[in-house]
Amino acid sequence: MKKSLLITISVIAAFILLAFIFYVVDEKEQVVILQMGKPVRTVTAPGMHMKLPWPIQNVVKFDDRLLDYDTQPTDVLTKDKKYLIVDNFAKWRIADPLKFLQGVRDEKGAQSRLDDIIYSELRVQLGNHDMQEVITESREDIMQAVTRDSDLKARAYGIQIIDVRIKRADLTKENENAVYERMRAERQRIANQYRSEGEEEALKIRATTDKEKEIILAEAYREAQILRSKGEAKAIEIYANAFKRDPEFYEFVRTMDAYKKIFDDKTTIVLPPNSSIFKYLK
Amino acid sequence: MPIPKKTIIIGGESFEIPDFAKFFGGGLRLILMIVGALWLLTGVFIVGPDEQGVIRRFGKFSRVATSGLNYHLPFPLEVVQKPKITEVKRVEIGFRTIEQGPPAEYRQVPMESLMLTGNLNIIDIDMIVQYKIKDAVAYLFNVKDAGETIQKTAEASLRQVIGRHDIDEALTTGKFAIQEETMTLLQQVLDKYDIGVLIVQVQLQDVHPPQEVAPDFKDVASAKEDKERKINQSQGYRNDVIPKARGEAEKMLREAEAYAAKRIAESEGDAKKFINIYAEYSRAKDVTRKRMLLETMEQILPGVQKYILTSEGQINLLPLAGQNPAKTGQ
Repeated sequence: MKKSLLITISVIAAFILLAFIFYVVDEKEQVVILQMGKPVRTVTAPGMHMKLPWPIQNVVKFDDRLLDYDTQPTDVLTKDKKYLIVDNFAKWRIADPLKFLQGVRDEKGAQSRLDDIIYSELRVQLGNHDMQEVITESREDIMQAVTRDSDLKARAYGIQIIDVRIKRADLTKENENAVYERMRAERQRIANQYRSEGEEEALKIRATTDKEKEIILAEAYREAQILRSKGEAKAIEIYANAFKRDPEFYEFVRTMDAYKKIFDDKTTIVLPPNSSIFKYLK
Repeated sequence: MPIPKKTIIIGGESFEIPDFAKFFGGGLRLILMIVGALWLLTGVFIVGPDEQGVIRRFGKFSRVATSGLNYHLPFPLEVVQKPKITEVKRVEIGFRTIEQGPPAEYRQVPMESLMLTGNLNIIDIDMIVQYKIKDAVAYLFNVKDAGETIQKTAEASLRQVIGRHDIDEALTTGKFAIQEETMTLLQQVLDKYDIGVLIVQVQLQDVHPPQEVAPDFKDVASAKEDKERKINQSQGYRNDVIPKARGEAEKMLREAEAYAAKRIAESEGDAKKFINIYAEYSRAKDVTRKRMLLETMEQILPGVQKYILTSEGQINLLPLAGQNPAKTGQ
C-alpha cells in the first residue's frame, strides 16, 4: 500500500515539474523566453520545448498569424488639392517577437504605431497623385508603395507589413454633390444625343425612301416610254410595209374610214349639185 | 462506514491521517485504470463527410485525418480541429441578409455599396463572394479572422476593379468582366496572405445608379427607346412607300407593254386588212374604188343633215331626213 501511494505522489509531482519545465508553442504562436525579465531567446517552431523552471524563466506568447490592422476612415489631400475619405486596412505579422516586445510591447501598442506609420506613408503617396489616378489606374501602385515604405519603417518594431490595402476612397460630401450634378448633366447630354440620333436616323430613312420612290417611278416611266415607242415604231413599220404597195389606195381607204368617223348626226354637209353622188339624179 | 485511520510519525510527533489505501483497498488500482482508459478513449473522434480533421501534437501540426472514425492521443497531448472544407461560405458586400426567409429580408449598407467608377461617377453595387477552404491547415493557422479578412479584401478588390471601369460598362456590358477581374484580384491577394481559401464565385447582385441620379438614368433609357421608336416609325414609312412605288412602276411597265402590244397587233390587223383588200382591189381597181366610195357615203350620209346646192346657188334640203322643215337659203 505504501508503495502505490508513493507512485501516485511521484507521478503528480512529476507532472507539476513538467509543467514548470516544458512548454508548448502552438502553430498559431511564437514565444519569447524571459529569464528574470530579460529576453534570452525567441522560439517560433511549434511543438514542445524545454526551459528552466518558473520563476527563473517564463514564456511570453505572441500571435504568429497574419494580423489585421484597421482604422477609421480619414481625410487625405491629393496632389490636385482634393480631399478623399480613405479607409484602409493592413495585414501584418510579428516578424521579430523580441523587437516587437521591446518596441511596442503588445498588439495594442502595435496598432497605434501602425497608425502613425501607415497614415503618414499614405499621406505622402496620395499627395503625389491626382484624385483621378488614386481612383483609377494608380491604386495598386500606391498601395504597393505604401506597403513597401511602411514595411521598412515597421521593421524596427519587429513588424512585417505584408499588405496595405485601400478599402474605400470616397469623395467628401460636397464633392459628392458635385459629382451627382455632373452625372445628371452627362445623362441629359446622352439622352439628348439619343433623341437627336433618332431624329437623324428617321429623317435619313424617310429621305432615302422618298428618293428611291422617285427613282423607281422615273425608271419605270423611262422603261414604259421605251416600250411604248418600240411598239409604236413597230406599228409604223408594219403600216409602212403594208401601205407602200399602193399609197394612193391607202389614202383612199383611210379617207373613207376617216369619213365614217368624222360624220355623225350633228354634222351638216352642203353638197353641190354636181357632186358625183348625184350624177345619176340629173 | 468509518474511514480507517493510520498513524504516521513526523519529527517525533505522531499524526492521525485517513488511510485512503486501506479505504479503497484494491479498488484504487481499478479506479485508476478505468480513469486512464476513459482518458485514452477521449481521443476517439469522427470526421464528417464535409470535414477534415487537423491534428496538432503539443501545438505542432501533425497530420490530417479524413472522413470517418479516427483517433488522436488524448488531450493535452493532441488536439483536433474539424473545419468544414466542402461548405461554401459567403460574404456580402453592400447589403446584409437579415432573414434567410422566405421571404428573405435584406438591409442595404450604402457605406459599402456606393463607390467611384473610373470616370468619377458614383455607382451602387451589391456583390456576393462565395468561397471555400482549399487548404485546411493554412486556413486554421495562417491568418487571424479569416472571414473578416475575406470581407475586407473583397470590398477593396471590387472598388479597385470598378475604378478601372466607367459607369456605363458597369451598368451594362462590363458586368461579366468586372466579376472576373474582381475574382482574379481577390484570389491573388488572398493567396499572398496564404489564407488557404478558394474563391468559388464572385457575383454582382444589383448594379444601379445612386438614387440621387436615378431619374436621369431612366430618362436616358427612355431616350434610347424614343430613338428606336422614331427609327421604327420611319422604317414603317419606308415599308409602306417602297412596295407601293414598285407596284406602281410595275403597273406603268405593264401598261406600256400592253400599249405596245396593242399598237403592234392593231397595226398588223390593219396591215393585213389593207393587204387583203388591196389584193382584191388590184384586180378591178376602178369598180372597187367606186363601190367603196358609195358604200361609205351610204353609211355616213343617213345620219347627217344635208344641204344640196342647186345650180342657181340655192340650197335645197333633201327631204330624206323626214321631219326636218324645209329651209331655203337666200
